[in-house]
Amino acid sequence: MAYVITETCIGTKNTACVGACPVDCIYDAGDHFIINPAECIDCSMCMPECPVEAIYPGDEVPDYLEQYATKAAEFDYSNVAPGVEIN
Amino acid sequence: MAEIKQRSLEEVKALSVEEAAEIMRQAGIVGAGGGGFPTYFKYMKPLPHLIVNATESEPGYWGDKLLHKEYLEEFLQLFDALKTIFGFEQISLAVHEKDREWFAEYQDHASDGVYDVRYVPNTYALGEEKTLVKHSTESRVPRFVNNPDGTRRPGMPPDVGKVVNNTESLLNVYNALFLGKPLTTKFFTVYGEEVDTQVCEVPIGASVAEVLELAGLDVENSGHLTVLDGGPYLHDMAIAELGKGDAYVRRMTNSLFVIPEGRQGKEYAEIETECPEEGIVSLVGKVSGVNLPLGGGLLKPATPLVSAGDEADYEQKIGEPVDEGFSVGVWASMGGEISSIENDIVAISGGAIPQEEAEAEAEATMAGGSQPRGEAEPFQEAGSSR
Repeated sequence: MAYVITETCIGTKNTACVGACPVDCIYDAGDHFIINPAECIDCSMCMPECPVEAIYPGDEVPDYLEQYATKAAEFDYSNVAPGVEIN
Repeated sequence: MAEIKQRSLEEVKALSVEEAAEIMRQAGIVGAGGGGFPTYFKYMKPLPHLIVNATESEPGYWGDKLLHKEYLEEFLQLFDALKTIFGFEQISLAVHEKDREWFAEYQDHASDGVYDVRYVPNTYALGEEKTLVKHSTESRVPRFVNNPDGTRRPGMPPDVGKVVNNTESLLNVYNALFLGKPLTTKFFTVYGEEVDTQVCEVPIGASVAEVLELAGLDVENSGHLTVLDGGPYLHDMAIAELGKGDAYVRRMTNSLFVIPEGRQGKEYAEIETECPEEGIVSLVGKVSGVNLPLGGGLLKPATPLVSAGDEADYEQKIGEPVDEGFSVGVWASMGGEISSIENDIVAISGGAIPQEEAEAEAEATMAGGSQPRGEAEPFQEAGSSR
């Protein structure tokens, strides 16, 4: 089950998780980063890298943050490239 | 303190926790799966549950599966001994679902009650211990935990009473506790473009270019190839342009993965390889030199016990672990002259059989099936081979 990036990423967007991900499944979703569950291999490497503890294993996301799992599942990844958006 | 020497099962079982951990430290054993974490440290404080990682961490690897096949009896004895020494309530062998048949013998022996076999999803978790704990037990390693000083750190398997060890690390523990053999070799898969898939046992510190030459690549004329130390997902660059520059086999090298220059490892995430028919090929005694790191990564450099110009025997201790931080013993992975000690790297040269002969022998070995370990090891002392 994929990992999920949640609320505390907003306003932080540290990018350490992006660098740690071996399969490039972390995308820039604007306010926060987002993990594509279809690409995540469930390796957990991103989780300890997050300085604001925003990342949860999919089956351990607290109820009040469940919206982030839903968003990750429904997000349209077709128009964004993995990694950090460079403007 | 207990010395590194041959021991019977009963003698191994009679070792104390401290003695067994110290033997691991002196023998130079670090996590062979890629992390390089010193194995002794995981055993200093006994925990209830040992999980043996028998899942290959990257697509295309065969090393762990072949080790389990070839060293079944050794692993069974080791599990028995570890249970006694460290008081494990449970030892579990974590195996990919797809490998049920491969590990059938382990399932048969599990009825003895020493260990159990647990099947985990067929994903490549890249050796991540937390993921293996999640897939093989009901426990969850906490995301983060509080340190006594108020800081936070990522959770680790010991936080839920688990020790996770890689297959090869444990075989090295067997070698040290039962055979009195220190760590001098690394098992890894050679695969990719223009090379047959092979699993080799190679002296630590051997030249990557020389290993690939012995594996059948025309190194000088292969500038169009890149060599990665690792698999499609996680790797370090070993040689960007084969034939130019070199790299050395590390204690954590799990693969030499050969791909065309300019391609990315990840493009090979779907790669499938055939199990090498010849089994594990030993290149011990067949390389012309080694560069042995005294430390590196998490390890504080060991104190060199030799000087440039000295002659070192195979499996002679050349580095004494220091007491500060993590440090392990270092042992000569080939016999020969110490040609230099610079930047905490001990270089040993000479002593190998001539290159042409080595190539011919390697070719014969790879074509004609595996040889028993020890046969082609001119520096191996009597009684110390497996």
